[in-house]
Amino acid sequence: MSEPDVVIVRGLRKSYRARVVVDGLDLDVPAGEIVGLIGANGAGKTTTVECVQGLRRPDAGTLRVLGYDPVTQAGQLRPLMGSQLQDSALPDRLRVAEAIDLFSTARARDGGELLEQFGLAARRRSVFSSLSGGERQRLFLILALLNRPRLVILDELTQGLDPAARRNVWAAVRQLNDEGTTVLLVTHEMDEAEALCGRVAVMRSGRVIDAGAPADLVERHASTATIRFSMPDPPVAFLDQVRQLDGVREVERAGTLITVRGHRRIIAYVGAALVRWEPVPTDLSVHVPSLEDALLSLLNGESGEPVACIPAARELTGGRR
Amino acid sequence: MSTAVGRLVRAEVALMTRDPLVLTFVFAFPIVTMLIIGGAFGTTPDRAFDGVNPAHWYVASYLTVVIAATGLVMLPVHLASYRERGVLRRFAAAGFPRWSFAIAQLIVGLMTTALACALLLAVTAPVYGLPVVHDGWRVAVALPLGAIAFVSIGVLLGSLLPSARAAQAVGLLVFFPSFLLGAGGPPPHVMGSVVRQVAGPLPLTLLTNAVRAPWLGLGPATGSLIGVAVLAVAATAVAAYRTAL
Repeated sequence: MSEPDVVIVRGLRKSYRARVVVDGLDLDVPAGEIVGLIGANGAGKTTTVECVQGLRRPDAGTLRVLGYDPVTQAGQLRPLMGSQLQDSALPDRLRVAEAIDLFSTARARDGGELLEQFGLAARRRSVFSSLSGGERQRLFLILALLNRPRLVILDELTQGLDPAARRNVWAAVRQLNDEGTTVLLVTHEMDEAEALCGRVAVMRSGRVIDAGAPADLVERHASTATIRFSMPDPPVAFLDQVRQLDGVREVERAGTLITVRGHRRIIAYVGAALVRWEPVPTDLSVHVPSLEDALLSLLNGESGEPVACIPAARELTGGRR
Repeated sequence: MSTAVGRLVRAEVALMTRDPLVLTFVFAFPIVTMLIIGGAFGTTPDRAFDGVNPAHWYVASYLTVVIAATGLVMLPVHLASYRERGVLRRFAAAGFPRWSFAIAQLIVGLMTTALACALLLAVTAPVYGLPVVHDGWRVAVALPLGAIAFVSIGVLLGSLLPSARAAQAVGLLVFFPSFLLGAGGPPPHVMGSVVRQVAGPLPLTLLTNAVRAPWLGLGPATGSLIGVAVLAVAATAVAAYRTAL
């Protein structure tokens, strides 16, 4: 029998005066998964997780988190959760080690180990106000993980972190999840959602408008891959061949620049065709649809333009000529 | 202390010792003004001061100035700053028990008040001497009750006001009239009738009466003591409700 969902939200509504921020939202977070909540600014993501944490009282709807009602049973629920909040701070002159002591309960992990793991051991005696943005984020993450939570809510997890620190934090979240902790992640970073989340819920105007595995969302909402290359005087037969390839939806020629659009499987077919029609173009670029494209398509009804270029020589033709 | 309250108290005390300027108003203002005003009116018993040595009148009054400074100026700014910056949300999200922060602030406020009162007496005693305490138990009841009342008012103001700057402005606006009319200003006998009527029901006036009268042998001031007790209970209840995490 599968484990019950850790978070169950049905018909959640929350307004700030006349402004409806969350409007009949349903959300499930299965046990042991990393679920992402994505969407534009103002979609209601942070308000939703604040209701889940019991920090805000919903206007309507039902919430069960680890079997508890976050409004009426916050006292039992909160010790089982770890939270990394979007906007919060610690007292300016509180030292890092003191913050660990302050937030440690009887269930706490070894704070020293966590400080080592997240590269803050050398800052143990530093006061909060002297920490950089990235160091503060890492400290908040440590505090969220400190008391062995069963559910961790991370809101803008890697905001302000450099790429190396981000990878470090991602690895820590994966490790935490491997140990059985369920994670609800609010993020604007689509690469983060793709890298970490088994399932993603897309929010717009206070509702979940679609949910699923990142790859499934991409398939449903941004399956169009775009290939561009230059070919002076392309043979008509070549263009006809490309048009006939399985999955190709459009072939466009503007001067010497040729653009091919279609399902992502065309990447392989067009690449193979180009190799047969020597010489291969040196300016080949491939835009592979991503979760960001799917999100843009969902939110705006349009897909983004190329954001990722794969150098032709290395990715498609290197070693095969 | 490994309870949530204990950890909060320990952290708050550490933070205070690290930022002593925060305490300047609570510690220095009553001492400086006490020394000035005590010197201004002298030590000869005066009818305006109910026949008491004016310096002793003010020594018996100024402990309540310490209490008011803690409750009306220091705590509201401190708490509003915590709320403004999301520190309280972090405590709430981390599972600190609902009342732990309010209780911790009450304890820290009372500790601060006790320390500041001791310092005030230590500094003024060699200069003006300490007046004899005529009714010790009433003074011993009134002081902690007043401290609880004003610390709770401070916690309440800090939870209601939108920012640290607003808390400072409102705190000072409430503190100085209370100070002048109810403790550190002229004695009630020299005030005009309207001013005396305005001053009479102010919380700091009630507290000062409840401490000064039994201390100097001017009467039991039971009405004032009851007023302070009611204020302490009401302010504590509302403050605890407002600052529940």
